[in-house]
Amino acid sequence: MNTLVEMLSPGFLLREALIGSVLVGCLCPLVGVYFVLRRMIFLGVALPQLSAAGIALAFLLYRMLVGQHQHFMPSERWLAMLGSLSCTCVGLLVLAALARHRETVEARIGITYAIAAAATLLFLAMDPAAEAHMVNLLKGDILATTGPSLSLMAGVFGAVACLLMVFRKEFLLVSFDRDLAVVFGKQAGLWDGLLYLMIGITISLGVMTAGPIVTFGFLVIPPLTARIITRRMLTFSLTAAGLGTSTAFAGFYCAYHFDLPLGPAEVALASLVLAIVAITRGLSRIVQRWQAA
Amino acid sequence: MSGTLLTLRDVSLGYDSRVVLEHLSLAIEYGECLALVGPNGAGKTTLLRGILGLIPVLAGQIEYGFDRSTSPPGYVPQRDTLDPIFPLTVFEVVLMGTYGRLALLQPVGRRQRQLAAHCLEQVGLADLANRPFWALSGGQKQRVLIARALAVEPTLLLLDEPTAGVDPGAATAIMGLIAQLHRDQGLTVVLVSHHLRLVRSLVHSVVWVEDGCASKGATEVMLAPERIMELFGPLRGIE
Repeated sequence: MNTLVEMLSPGFLLREALIGSVLVGCLCPLVGVYFVLRRMIFLGVALPQLSAAGIALAFLLYRMLVGQHQHFMPSERWLAMLGSLSCTCVGLLVLAALARHRETVEARIGITYAIAAAATLLFLAMDPAAEAHMVNLLKGDILATTGPSLSLMAGVFGAVACLLMVFRKEFLLVSFDRDLAVVFGKQAGLWDGLLYLMIGITISLGVMTAGPIVTFGFLVIPPLTARIITRRMLTFSLTAAGLGTSTAFAGFYCAYHFDLPLGPAEVALASLVLAIVAITRGLSRIVQRWQAA
Repeated sequence: MSGTLLTLRDVSLGYDSRVVLEHLSLAIEYGECLALVGPNGAGKTTLLRGILGLIPVLAGQIEYGFDRSTSPPGYVPQRDTLDPIFPLTVFEVVLMGTYGRLALLQPVGRRQRQLAAHCLEQVGLADLANRPFWALSGGQKQRVLIARALAVEPTLLLLDEPTAGVDPGAATAIMGLIAQLHRDQGLTVVLVSHHLRLVRSLVHSVVWVEDGCASKGATEVMLAPERIMELFGPLRGIE
Protein backbone atom coordinates (compact mmCIF):
# COMPACT_ATOMS: atom_id res chain seq x y z
CA MET A 1 0.00 0.00 0.00
CA ASN A 2 2.87 2.35 0.87
CA THR A 3 4.36 1.72 -2.56
CA LEU A 4 1.09 2.66 -4.23
CA VAL A 5 0.81 5.86 -2.19
CA GLU A 6 4.41 6.68 -3.04
CA MET A 7 3.80 6.07 -6.77
CA LEU A 8 0.75 8.33 -6.78
CA SER A 9 2.40 11.17 -4.89
CA PRO A 10 3.36 14.26 -6.96
CA GLY A 11 6.97 14.07 -5.89
CA PHE A 12 7.47 10.44 -6.99
CA LEU A 13 11.00 10.16 -8.37
CA LEU A 14 9.98 8.01 -11.35
CA ARG A 15 6.81 9.96 -12.13
CA GLU A 16 7.73 10.57 -15.78
CA ALA A 17 8.61 6.92 -16.25
CA LEU A 18 5.30 5.85 -14.70
CA ILE A 19 3.28 8.20 -16.90
CA GLY A 20 5.27 7.17 -19.99
CA SER A 21 4.72 3.53 -19.20
CA VAL A 22 0.97 4.02 -18.77
CA LEU A 23 0.76 6.03 -22.01
CA VAL A 24 2.46 3.21 -23.94
CA GLY A 25 0.15 0.73 -22.19
CA CYS A 26 -2.89 2.75 -23.27
CA LEU A 27 -2.09 3.65 -26.89
CA CYS A 28 -0.27 0.53 -28.13
CA PRO A 29 -3.38 -1.64 -27.62
CA LEU A 30 -5.58 0.95 -29.36
CA VAL A 31 -3.37 0.68 -32.42
CA GLY A 32 -2.82 -3.03 -31.81
CA VAL A 33 -6.55 -3.67 -32.24
CA TYR A 34 -5.98 -3.21 -35.98
CA PHE A 35 -2.91 -5.49 -35.87
CA VAL A 36 -5.09 -8.24 -34.47
CA LEU A 37 -8.10 -7.59 -36.72
CA ARG A 38 -6.01 -7.31 -39.88
CA ARG A 39 -4.07 -10.43 -38.88
CA MET A 40 -0.81 -8.50 -38.85
CA ILE A 41 0.47 -9.80 -35.50
CA PHE A 42 3.75 -11.02 -36.96
CA LEU A 43 4.26 -7.53 -38.31
CA GLY A 44 4.07 -6.41 -34.69
CA VAL A 45 7.24 -8.39 -33.99
CA ALA A 46 9.14 -7.12 -37.01
CA LEU A 47 8.29 -3.41 -36.77
CA PRO A 48 9.61 -2.71 -33.25
CA GLN A 49 12.81 -4.50 -34.30
CA LEU A 50 12.98 -2.31 -37.42
CA SER A 51 12.52 0.70 -35.19
CA ALA A 52 15.46 -0.40 -33.04
CA ALA A 53 17.59 -0.90 -36.18
CA GLY A 54 16.61 2.63 -37.26
CA ILE A 55 17.87 4.08 -33.98
CA ALA A 56 21.21 2.27 -34.29
CA LEU A 57 21.50 3.32 -37.95
CA ALA A 58 20.79 6.97 -37.13
CA PHE A 59 23.55 7.01 -34.49
CA LEU A 60 25.99 5.31 -36.84
CA LEU A 61 25.24 7.66 -39.77
CA TYR A 62 25.50 10.71 -37.51
CA ARG A 63 28.90 9.61 -36.24
CA MET A 64 30.12 8.90 -39.77
CA LEU A 65 28.81 12.13 -41.32
CA VAL A 66 28.92 14.67 -38.48
CA GLY A 67 30.80 13.31 -35.53
CA GLN A 68 30.19 11.87 -32.10
CA HIS A 69 26.84 12.87 -30.64
CA GLN A 70 26.39 13.97 -27.05
CA HIS A 71 24.81 11.46 -24.72
CA PHE A 72 21.82 12.49 -22.57
CA MET A 73 21.22 15.59 -24.71
CA PRO A 74 17.79 16.30 -26.27
CA SER A 75 19.39 16.14 -29.73
CA GLU A 76 20.26 12.50 -29.11
CA ARG A 77 16.62 11.66 -28.53
CA TRP A 78 15.53 13.55 -31.65
CA LEU A 79 18.18 11.68 -33.65
CA ALA A 80 16.90 8.38 -32.31
CA MET A 81 13.32 9.44 -33.05
CA LEU A 82 14.20 10.33 -36.64
CA GLY A 83 15.96 7.02 -37.24
CA SER A 84 13.24 4.99 -35.57
CA LEU A 85 10.36 6.69 -37.37
CA SER A 86 12.01 6.62 -40.81
CA CYS A 87 12.93 2.95 -40.61
CA THR A 88 9.55 1.88 -39.19
CA CYS A 89 7.50 3.83 -41.73
CA VAL A 90 9.59 2.75 -44.73
CA GLY A 91 9.48 -0.88 -43.59
CA LEU A 92 5.75 -0.71 -42.91
CA LEU A 93 4.94 0.86 -46.28
CA VAL A 94 7.08 -1.68 -48.17
CA LEU A 95 5.52 -4.61 -46.30
CA ALA A 96 2.03 -3.16 -46.77
CA ALA A 97 2.61 -2.60 -50.48
CA LEU A 98 3.60 -6.26 -50.84
CA ALA A 99 0.75 -7.46 -48.61
CA ARG A 100 -1.54 -8.50 -51.46
CA HIS A 101 0.90 -11.31 -52.34
CA ARG A 102 -0.47 -13.18 -49.35
CA GLU A 103 1.21 -16.51 -50.00
CA THR A 104 4.64 -15.20 -48.94
CA VAL A 105 3.59 -12.70 -46.29
CA GLU A 106 4.93 -14.67 -43.29
CA ALA A 107 8.23 -15.25 -45.05
CA ARG A 108 8.64 -11.53 -45.76
CA ILE A 109 7.86 -10.55 -42.17
CA GLY A 110 10.21 -13.24 -40.84
CA ILE A 111 12.99 -12.06 -43.11
CA THR A 112 12.37 -8.43 -42.08
CA TYR A 113 12.64 -9.39 -38.41
CA ALA A 114 15.86 -11.36 -38.93
CA ILE A 115 17.47 -8.61 -41.01
CA ALA A 116 16.40 -5.89 -38.58
CA ALA A 117 17.71 -7.81 -35.55
CA ALA A 118 21.04 -8.54 -37.25
CA ALA A 119 21.35 -4.98 -38.56
CA THR A 120 20.77 -3.53 -35.09
CA LEU A 121 23.67 -5.50 -33.65
CA LEU A 122 25.90 -4.83 -36.67
CA PHE A 123 25.26 -1.07 -36.57
CA LEU A 124 26.11 -1.05 -32.88
CA ALA A 125 29.24 -3.10 -33.45
CA MET A 126 30.36 -0.72 -36.22
CA ASP A 127 30.06 2.23 -33.85
CA PRO A 128 33.04 2.12 -31.49
CA ALA A 129 31.34 4.67 -29.28
CA ALA A 130 28.42 2.36 -28.71
CA GLU A 131 28.00 2.22 -25.00
CA ALA A 132 25.68 0.73 -22.49
CA HIS A 133 23.59 3.90 -22.72
CA MET A 134 22.88 3.28 -26.40
CA VAL A 135 22.12 -0.33 -25.76
CA ASN A 136 19.67 0.83 -23.10
CA LEU A 137 18.07 3.20 -25.59
CA LEU A 138 17.64 0.33 -28.03
CA LYS A 139 16.14 -1.87 -25.35
CA GLY A 140 13.95 1.03 -24.27
CA ASP A 141 15.10 2.84 -21.18
CA ILE A 142 11.81 3.91 -19.71
CA LEU A 143 13.41 5.07 -16.49
CA ALA A 144 15.30 7.69 -18.51
CA THR A 145 12.05 9.33 -19.67
CA THR A 146 12.27 13.09 -19.24
CA GLY A 147 9.65 15.83 -19.02
CA PRO A 148 10.08 17.10 -22.62
CA SER A 149 10.05 13.61 -24.14
CA LEU A 150 6.96 12.80 -22.08
CA SER A 151 5.21 15.93 -23.34
CA LEU A 152 6.06 14.99 -26.92
CA MET A 153 4.80 11.46 -26.39
CA ALA A 154 1.58 12.63 -24.72
CA GLY A 155 0.90 15.08 -27.55
CA VAL A 156 1.57 12.58 -30.33
CA PHE A 157 -0.27 9.72 -28.63
CA GLY A 158 -3.21 12.06 -27.95
CA ALA A 159 -3.36 13.01 -31.62
CA VAL A 160 -3.20 9.36 -32.71
CA ALA A 161 -5.95 8.38 -30.26
CA CYS A 162 -8.16 11.26 -31.49
CA LEU A 163 -7.65 10.27 -35.14
CA LEU A 164 -8.46 6.63 -34.35
CA MET A 165 -11.67 7.71 -32.65
CA VAL A 166 -12.77 10.33 -35.21
CA PHE A 167 -12.16 8.09 -38.23
CA ARG A 168 -13.13 4.80 -36.63
CA LYS A 169 -15.93 4.15 -39.12
CA GLU A 170 -13.54 4.58 -42.05
CA PHE A 171 -10.84 2.39 -40.45
CA LEU A 172 -13.42 -0.28 -39.61
CA LEU A 173 -14.92 -0.28 -43.09
CA VAL A 174 -11.55 -0.46 -44.86
CA SER A 175 -10.33 -3.19 -42.50
CA PHE A 176 -13.50 -5.32 -42.43
CA ASP A 177 -14.79 -5.03 -45.99
CA ARG A 178 -12.36 -3.25 -48.27
CA ASP A 179 -14.50 -3.94 -51.34
CA LEU A 180 -17.50 -2.20 -49.79
CA ALA A 181 -15.29 0.77 -48.90
CA VAL A 182 -14.24 1.03 -52.56
CA VAL A 183 -17.87 0.71 -53.70
CA PHE A 184 -18.65 3.63 -51.35
CA GLY A 185 -15.97 5.66 -53.08
CA LYS A 186 -13.58 5.68 -50.10
CA GLN A 187 -9.90 6.00 -50.90
CA ALA A 188 -8.95 2.69 -49.26
CA GLY A 189 -5.24 3.18 -49.99
CA LEU A 190 -5.20 6.58 -48.30
CA TRP A 191 -6.96 5.25 -45.20
CA ASP A 192 -4.51 2.35 -45.08
CA GLY A 193 -1.64 4.84 -45.41
CA LEU A 194 -2.97 6.99 -42.55
CA LEU A 195 -3.46 3.94 -40.35
CA TYR A 196 0.05 2.67 -41.12
CA LEU A 197 1.54 6.09 -40.43
CA MET A 198 -0.13 6.18 -37.02
CA ILE A 199 1.06 2.64 -36.33
CA GLY A 200 4.60 3.63 -37.34
CA ILE A 201 4.60 6.70 -35.09
CA THR A 202 3.19 4.77 -32.14
CA ILE A 203 5.73 1.98 -32.52
CA SER A 204 8.64 4.42 -32.89
CA LEU A 205 7.72 6.32 -29.76
CA GLY A 206 6.86 3.11 -27.94
CA VAL A 207 10.21 1.50 -28.76
CA MET A 208 12.12 4.62 -27.75
CA THR A 209 10.24 4.82 -24.48
CA ALA A 210 9.73 1.22 -23.48
CA GLY A 211 11.70 -0.92 -25.96
CA PRO A 212 10.68 -3.46 -28.61
CA ILE A 213 9.53 -6.20 -26.22
CA VAL A 214 7.14 -4.01 -24.27
CA THR A 215 5.87 -2.32 -27.43
CA PHE A 216 5.14 -5.63 -29.13
CA GLY A 217 3.65 -7.02 -25.93
CA PHE A 218 1.21 -4.15 -25.56
CA LEU A 219 0.39 -4.07 -29.28
CA VAL A 220 -0.84 -7.63 -29.18
CA ILE A 221 -1.61 -9.03 -25.71
CA PRO A 222 -4.32 -6.61 -24.43
CA PRO A 223 -6.24 -6.69 -27.76
CA LEU A 224 -6.13 -10.50 -27.75
CA THR A 225 -7.46 -10.48 -24.18
CA ALA A 226 -10.16 -7.95 -25.06
CA ARG A 227 -11.19 -9.98 -28.12
CA ILE A 228 -12.14 -12.87 -25.84
CA ILE A 229 -14.51 -10.83 -23.68
CA THR A 230 -16.07 -8.28 -26.05
CA ARG A 231 -18.39 -8.52 -29.02
CA ARG A 232 -18.64 -4.92 -30.23
CA MET A 233 -15.97 -2.89 -31.99
CA LEU A 234 -16.03 0.13 -29.69
CA THR A 235 -16.00 -1.90 -26.49
CA PHE A 236 -13.23 -4.05 -28.00
CA SER A 237 -11.00 -0.99 -28.54
CA LEU A 238 -11.80 0.61 -25.19
CA THR A 239 -11.36 -2.65 -23.27
CA ALA A 240 -8.00 -3.28 -24.96
CA ALA A 241 -6.83 0.23 -24.04
CA GLY A 242 -8.17 -0.15 -20.50
CA LEU A 243 -6.45 -3.51 -20.02
CA GLY A 244 -3.19 -2.11 -21.41
CA THR A 245 -3.34 0.94 -19.13
CA SER A 246 -4.13 -1.04 -16.00
CA THR A 247 -1.56 -3.77 -16.66
CA ALA A 248 1.10 -1.14 -17.40
CA PHE A 249 0.34 0.55 -14.08
CA ALA A 250 0.19 -2.73 -12.17
CA GLY A 251 3.37 -3.92 -13.89
CA PHE A 252 5.13 -0.74 -12.84
CA TYR A 253 3.93 -1.30 -9.28
CA CYS A 254 5.23 -4.90 -9.26
CA ALA A 255 8.57 -3.88 -10.78
CA TYR A 256 9.02 -1.05 -8.27
CA HIS A 257 7.82 -3.00 -5.26
CA PHE A 258 9.68 -6.25 -5.97
CA ASP A 259 12.69 -4.64 -7.68
CA LEU A 260 12.08 -6.37 -11.02
CA PRO A 261 13.01 -5.20 -14.53
CA LEU A 262 10.11 -3.00 -15.65
CA GLY A 263 9.46 -4.10 -19.25
CA PRO A 264 9.41 -7.85 -18.60
CA ALA A 265 7.25 -7.32 -15.49
CA GLU A 266 4.64 -5.43 -17.52
CA VAL A 267 4.57 -7.97 -20.36
CA ALA A 268 4.44 -10.90 -17.92
CA LEU A 269 1.49 -9.33 -16.11
CA ALA A 270 -0.38 -8.65 -19.37
CA SER A 271 0.24 -12.28 -20.39
CA LEU A 272 -1.01 -13.50 -17.02
CA VAL A 273 -4.24 -11.55 -17.48
CA LEU A 274 -4.64 -13.06 -20.97
CA ALA A 275 -4.09 -16.57 -19.58
CA ILE A 276 -6.62 -16.05 -16.78
CA VAL A 277 -9.26 -14.62 -19.14
CA ALA A 278 -8.72 -17.38 -21.72
CA ILE A 279 -8.87 -20.17 -19.12
CA THR A 280 -11.95 -18.67 -17.45
CA ARG A 281 -13.69 -18.35 -20.81
CA GLY A 282 -12.75 -21.91 -21.75
CA LEU A 283 -14.03 -23.26 -18.43
CA SER A 284 -17.29 -21.31 -18.69
CA ARG A 285 -17.88 -22.78 -22.16
CA ILE A 286 -17.26 -26.29 -20.85
CA VAL A 287 -19.75 -25.66 -18.01
CA GLN A 288 -22.32 -24.24 -20.45
CA ARG A 289 -22.01 -27.30 -22.72
CA TRP A 290 -22.21 -29.61 -19.72
CA GLN A 291 -25.35 -27.84 -18.48
CA ALA A 292 -26.88 -27.93 -21.97
CA ALA A 293 -26.21 -31.67 -22.19
CA MET B 1 -38.27 5.19 -62.95
CA SER B 2 -37.55 3.78 -66.40
CA GLY B 3 -34.72 3.75 -68.92
CA THR B 4 -31.23 2.36 -68.89
CA LEU B 5 -29.51 2.07 -65.51
CA LEU B 6 -26.19 0.68 -66.67
CA THR B 7 -24.52 0.30 -70.04
CA LEU B 8 -21.37 -1.65 -70.87
CA ARG B 9 -19.82 -0.61 -74.20
CA ASP B 10 -17.19 -2.93 -75.63
CA VAL B 11 -15.81 -3.54 -72.13
CA SER B 12 -12.83 -5.75 -71.31
CA LEU B 13 -12.25 -6.82 -67.71
CA GLY B 14 -9.52 -8.76 -65.97
CA TYR B 15 -6.87 -8.78 -63.28
CA ASP B 16 -3.52 -7.04 -63.70
CA SER B 17 -2.96 -7.42 -67.43
CA ARG B 18 -4.79 -10.76 -67.76
CA VAL B 19 -8.02 -10.31 -69.69
CA VAL B 20 -10.90 -12.49 -68.42
CA LEU B 21 -13.80 -10.99 -70.36
CA GLU B 22 -13.58 -9.16 -73.69
CA HIS B 23 -15.78 -6.90 -75.81
CA LEU B 24 -18.82 -7.02 -73.54
CA SER B 25 -21.71 -4.84 -74.59
CA LEU B 26 -24.96 -4.99 -72.69
CA ALA B 27 -27.47 -2.77 -70.96
CA ILE B 28 -29.38 -3.17 -67.70
CA GLU B 29 -32.73 -1.39 -67.39
CA TYR B 30 -34.22 0.22 -64.29
CA GLY B 31 -36.27 -2.30 -62.33
CA GLU B 32 -34.75 -5.28 -64.11
CA CYS B 33 -33.95 -8.46 -62.24
CA LEU B 34 -30.98 -10.17 -63.85
CA ALA B 35 -28.72 -13.12 -63.13
CA LEU B 36 -25.14 -13.70 -64.21
CA VAL B 37 -24.75 -17.42 -64.79
CA GLY B 38 -22.23 -19.70 -66.39
CA PRO B 39 -19.65 -22.39 -65.59
CA ASN B 40 -17.14 -22.05 -62.73
CA GLY B 41 -14.28 -19.71 -63.56
CA ALA B 42 -16.09 -18.22 -66.54
CA GLY B 43 -15.88 -14.67 -65.16
CA LYS B 44 -19.26 -14.04 -63.54
CA THR B 45 -17.75 -12.53 -60.40
CA THR B 46 -15.26 -10.62 -62.56
CA LEU B 47 -18.17 -9.02 -64.40
CA LEU B 48 -19.90 -8.17 -61.12
CA ARG B 49 -16.68 -6.67 -59.72
CA GLY B 50 -16.24 -4.68 -62.90
CA ILE B 51 -19.75 -3.23 -62.60
CA LEU B 52 -19.01 -2.36 -58.96
CA GLY B 53 -15.78 -0.60 -59.92
CA LEU B 54 -13.68 -3.00 -57.85
CA ILE B 55 -11.46 -3.87 -60.80
CA PRO B 56 -10.33 -1.48 -63.50
CA VAL B 57 -11.96 -1.52 -66.92
CA LEU B 58 -9.15 -2.60 -69.27
CA ALA B 59 -10.94 -1.34 -72.37
CA GLY B 60 -14.30 0.15 -73.29
CA GLN B 61 -16.64 2.04 -71.00
CA ILE B 62 -19.21 1.45 -68.27
CA GLU B 63 -21.86 4.18 -68.08
CA TYR B 64 -23.99 4.50 -64.96
CA GLY B 65 -27.45 6.03 -65.12
CA PHE B 66 -27.10 7.25 -61.53
CA ASP B 67 -24.55 9.20 -59.53
CA ARG B 68 -22.37 6.59 -57.88
CA SER B 69 -20.76 9.07 -55.48
CA THR B 70 -24.05 10.18 -53.91
CA SER B 71 -26.02 6.98 -54.46
CA PRO B 72 -23.70 3.97 -54.35
CA PRO B 73 -25.03 0.54 -55.30
CA GLY B 74 -25.92 -1.99 -52.63
CA TYR B 75 -23.43 -4.84 -52.61
CA VAL B 76 -23.76 -8.26 -51.00
CA PRO B 77 -20.38 -10.03 -51.10
CA GLN B 78 -19.78 -13.73 -50.64
CA ARG B 79 -19.86 -13.98 -46.86
CA ASP B 80 -16.70 -16.14 -46.77
CA THR B 81 -14.71 -13.07 -47.81
CA LEU B 82 -15.41 -11.48 -44.41
CA ASP B 83 -13.14 -12.29 -41.48
CA PRO B 84 -14.78 -13.69 -38.31
CA ILE B 85 -12.07 -12.13 -36.12
CA PHE B 86 -13.98 -8.82 -36.12
CA PRO B 87 -16.17 -8.47 -33.02
CA LEU B 88 -19.36 -7.16 -34.57
CA THR B 89 -23.00 -7.44 -33.68
CA VAL B 90 -25.64 -7.91 -36.35
CA PHE B 91 -26.69 -4.26 -35.93
CA GLU B 92 -23.12 -2.99 -36.35
CA VAL B 93 -22.78 -4.92 -39.62
CA VAL B 94 -26.03 -3.44 -40.98
CA LEU B 95 -25.09 0.04 -39.78
CA MET B 96 -21.98 -0.18 -41.95
CA GLY B 97 -24.27 0.10 -44.98
CA THR B 98 -25.19 3.65 -43.97
CA TYR B 99 -21.54 4.78 -44.14
CA GLY B 100 -21.86 5.03 -47.93
CA ARG B 101 -23.91 8.20 -47.73
CA LEU B 102 -22.09 9.76 -44.78
CA ALA B 103 -19.64 12.58 -45.43
CA LEU B 104 -16.16 12.59 -43.94
CA LEU B 105 -16.35 13.45 -40.21
CA GLN B 106 -20.15 13.03 -40.26
CA PRO B 107 -20.99 10.78 -37.32
CA VAL B 108 -23.53 7.99 -37.36
CA GLY B 109 -26.71 9.57 -36.05
CA ARG B 110 -30.26 8.68 -35.16
CA ARG B 111 -31.38 8.58 -38.80
CA GLN B 112 -28.72 6.01 -39.69
CA ARG B 113 -29.61 3.87 -36.66
CA GLN B 114 -33.30 3.97 -37.52
CA LEU B 115 -32.54 3.07 -41.13
CA ALA B 116 -30.35 0.13 -40.06
CA ALA B 117 -33.08 -1.09 -37.69
CA HIS B 118 -35.68 -0.79 -40.48
CA CYS B 119 -33.50 -2.75 -42.94
CA LEU B 120 -32.98 -5.46 -40.37
CA GLU B 121 -36.73 -5.61 -39.92
CA GLN B 122 -37.21 -5.95 -43.69
CA VAL B 123 -35.10 -9.10 -43.76
CA GLY B 124 -36.91 -10.48 -40.71
CA LEU B 125 -34.03 -10.39 -38.25
CA ALA B 126 -34.91 -7.42 -36.02
CA ASP B 127 -34.84 -9.61 -32.92
CA LEU B 128 -31.24 -10.65 -33.58
CA ALA B 129 -29.84 -7.09 -33.68
CA ASN B 130 -27.62 -7.51 -30.63
CA ARG B 131 -26.41 -11.03 -31.41
CA PRO B 132 -22.78 -11.49 -32.54
CA PHE B 133 -22.80 -11.63 -36.36
CA TRP B 134 -20.58 -14.71 -36.42
CA ALA B 135 -22.95 -16.67 -34.17
CA LEU B 136 -25.64 -16.70 -36.89
CA SER B 137 -26.32 -19.48 -39.37
CA GLY B 138 -25.17 -19.11 -42.99
CA GLY B 139 -28.64 -18.12 -44.19
CA GLN B 140 -29.08 -15.57 -41.40
CA LYS B 141 -25.67 -14.02 -42.15
CA GLN B 142 -26.67 -13.69 -45.77
CA ARG B 143 -29.88 -11.91 -44.77
CA VAL B 144 -27.87 -9.54 -42.57
CA LEU B 145 -25.61 -8.74 -45.52
CA ILE B 146 -28.70 -8.07 -47.65
CA ALA B 147 -29.96 -5.73 -44.89
CA ARG B 148 -26.58 -3.98 -44.96
CA ALA B 149 -26.90 -3.51 -48.72
CA LEU B 150 -30.43 -2.11 -48.24
CA ALA B 151 -29.08 0.38 -45.69
CA VAL B 152 -27.21 2.00 -48.58
CA GLU B 153 -30.68 2.96 -49.93
CA PRO B 154 -29.60 1.75 -53.34
CA THR B 155 -31.12 1.91 -56.79
CA LEU B 156 -29.08 -1.08 -57.84
CA LEU B 157 -28.53 -4.17 -55.71
CA LEU B 158 -25.69 -6.54 -56.64
CA LEU B 159 -25.32 -9.93 -54.97
CA ASP B 160 -22.42 -12.33 -55.37
CA GLU B 161 -23.56 -15.94 -54.87
CA PRO B 162 -26.19 -15.07 -52.21
CA THR B 163 -27.16 -18.73 -51.76
CA ALA B 164 -23.67 -20.27 -51.70
CA GLY B 165 -23.06 -22.56 -48.74
CA VAL B 166 -26.56 -22.36 -47.28
CA ASP B 167 -29.02 -25.23 -46.96
CA PRO B 168 -31.74 -25.60 -49.63
CA GLY B 169 -34.49 -24.24 -47.41
CA ALA B 170 -32.50 -21.12 -46.55
CA ALA B 171 -31.51 -20.69 -50.22
CA THR B 172 -35.16 -20.68 -51.27
CA ALA B 173 -35.99 -18.20 -48.50
CA ILE B 174 -33.16 -15.87 -49.55
CA MET B 175 -34.28 -15.94 -53.17
CA GLY B 176 -37.82 -15.24 -51.97
CA LEU B 177 -36.57 -12.24 -50.00
CA ILE B 178 -34.70 -10.89 -53.05
CA ALA B 179 -37.84 -11.33 -55.18
CA GLN B 180 -39.90 -9.48 -52.57
CA LEU B 181 -37.41 -6.58 -52.37
CA HIS B 182 -37.36 -6.35 -56.16
CA ARG B 183 -41.14 -6.38 -56.35
CA ASP B 184 -41.97 -4.10 -53.40
CA GLN B 185 -39.17 -1.55 -53.70
CA GLY B 186 -38.61 -1.63 -57.45
CA LEU B 187 -34.93 -2.36 -56.92
CA THR B 188 -32.83 -3.28 -59.92
CA VAL B 189 -31.20 -6.58 -59.00
CA VAL B 190 -28.09 -8.22 -60.47
CA LEU B 191 -27.01 -11.48 -58.91
CA VAL B 192 -24.44 -14.17 -59.53
CA SER B 193 -25.75 -17.65 -58.83
CA HIS B 194 -25.21 -21.32 -59.51
CA HIS B 195 -28.71 -22.26 -58.42
CA LEU B 196 -30.29 -22.31 -61.87
CA ARG B 197 -33.62 -23.66 -60.65
CA LEU B 198 -34.00 -20.84 -58.10
CA VAL B 199 -32.74 -18.22 -60.54
CA ARG B 200 -35.17 -19.33 -63.24
CA SER B 201 -38.16 -18.51 -61.04
CA LEU B 202 -36.74 -15.13 -59.94
CA VAL B 203 -35.14 -13.20 -62.80
CA HIS B 204 -36.42 -11.62 -66.01
CA SER B 205 -33.20 -11.93 -67.91
CA VAL B 206 -29.96 -13.81 -67.81
CA VAL B 207 -26.42 -12.92 -68.83
CA TRP B 208 -24.65 -16.11 -69.82
CA VAL B 209 -20.90 -15.80 -69.19
CA GLU B 210 -18.56 -18.29 -70.85
CA ASP B 211 -15.25 -18.38 -72.74
CA GLY B 212 -14.49 -14.71 -72.12
CA CYS B 213 -17.81 -13.57 -73.60
CA ALA B 214 -21.24 -12.71 -72.25
CA SER B 215 -24.62 -12.79 -73.91
CA LYS B 216 -27.91 -11.55 -72.54
CA GLY B 217 -31.36 -12.92 -73.16
CA ALA B 218 -34.74 -13.65 -71.64
CA THR B 219 -34.69 -16.20 -68.81
CA GLU B 220 -36.96 -18.69 -70.54
CA VAL B 221 -34.62 -18.75 -73.54
CA MET B 222 -31.25 -18.65 -71.75
CA LEU B 223 -32.23 -21.19 -69.10
CA ALA B 224 -34.42 -23.43 -71.22
CA PRO B 225 -34.10 -26.99 -69.88
CA GLU B 226 -32.80 -28.37 -73.19
CA ARG B 227 -30.10 -25.67 -73.32
CA ILE B 228 -28.99 -26.42 -69.74
CA MET B 229 -28.91 -30.16 -70.50
CA GLU B 230 -26.74 -29.47 -73.50
CA LEU B 231 -24.31 -27.27 -71.56
CA PHE B 232 -24.03 -29.08 -68.24
CA GLY B 233 -25.30 -32.58 -68.79
CA PRO B 234 -28.29 -34.21 -67.13
CA LEU B 235 -27.15 -33.87 -63.47
CA ARG B 236 -26.70 -30.08 -63.45
CA GLY B 237 -29.61 -29.72 -65.77
CA ILE B 238 -31.88 -31.29 -63.18
CA GLU B 239 -30.61 -28.84 -60.54
